Amino acid sequence: MLVDFEVIRRAQKGDAAAFNEMVLAYRKRILGTITRLIARPEDVEDVAQEVFVRLYFSLDQLRTPEVFEPWLHRLTVNAAYDYLRKQRRRQEFRMSDLSEQQVMLADAMAGGKVEKDETHQKKVRESVDSLLGAVSEADRILLMLKEVEGLSLKELEKVYKVNENALKVRLFRARQRVLKAFGSGKKEGAG
Amino acid sequence: MNAMHGSDDQELDALFRAYRDACGAPDPSVNFMPNLWARIESRQRFTFSFSRMANALTTAAMALSLALGIYMAIPSSNATDYNQTYVEALAESNAPDLLELVSPNFELPIQPDR
Repeated sequence: MLVDFEVIRRAQKGDAAAFNEMVLAYRKRILGTITRLIARPEDVEDVAQEVFVRLYFSLDQLRTPEVFEPWLHRLTVNAAYDYLRKQRRRQEFRMSDLSEQQVMLADAMAGGKVEKDETHQKKVRESVDSLLGAVSEADRILLMLKEVEGLSLKELEKVYKVNENALKVRLFRARQRVLKAFGSGKKEGAG
Repeated sequence: MNAMHGSDDQELDALFRAYRDACGAPDPSVNFMPNLWARIESRQRFTFSFSRMANALTTAAMALSLALGIYMAIPSSNATDYNQTYVEALAESNAPDLLELVSPNFELPIQPDR
């Protein structure tokens, strides 16, 4: 937790200073998550503000401060969904764009030569964004939360309010699709 | 085949890790907090005016219902007409004619002496 439970309780009672404290504590994390979820840097701040506006107006519905973080994740995911629904600008999965980048990246990683420069990072971003284009928007967000954000299954259970087994099945299927796309990309790159 | 799949799995994990490093969280702009509070206040104003409008409409609807209720509850002036039975009403409306038949009020023509 980045803030004390007491701060959350005070914010729930309408304390603006406490709410400010919460926003300042979590905004960087939320901005990072949204950056990865929507992949459009110019709109990240706008979506993050929407998350905090929703937080402000629904804070009184939070039963206990202990579940604040999964709850904030849920608000973030919902805001990202809404944004993506509005935009409808999903990248099309184009195998030809992937193959070369992926092969280069896989080779570089296998050899432990991961370069930290901007060009390489850009390639990584493009590769993963294209790979995740192989799955639905919902699965993309789920995979992102699990694989990139590092949320545990227990945390995802709280975010999605579904049982762990259902999540496991969904994650497995989504990962298989991404793996298939990854494998195909590598083959094309090698061929 | 499984070994290949396993290697793909590991590479994909590494790719996701690299992605996380590559997509660092951007720094919030200086206007982040002012803009956030402006949005909150604007939504509060909207919610407030909406709830005021909803309250006004509810009050108007209740007043109208009450007025209609009162209007319906007041007995109309013609209501007494319906206290009689059909036969009674018919008898009453034809009463003068009957009297005329029972005791006709006419003079016999005077017969001139022949």
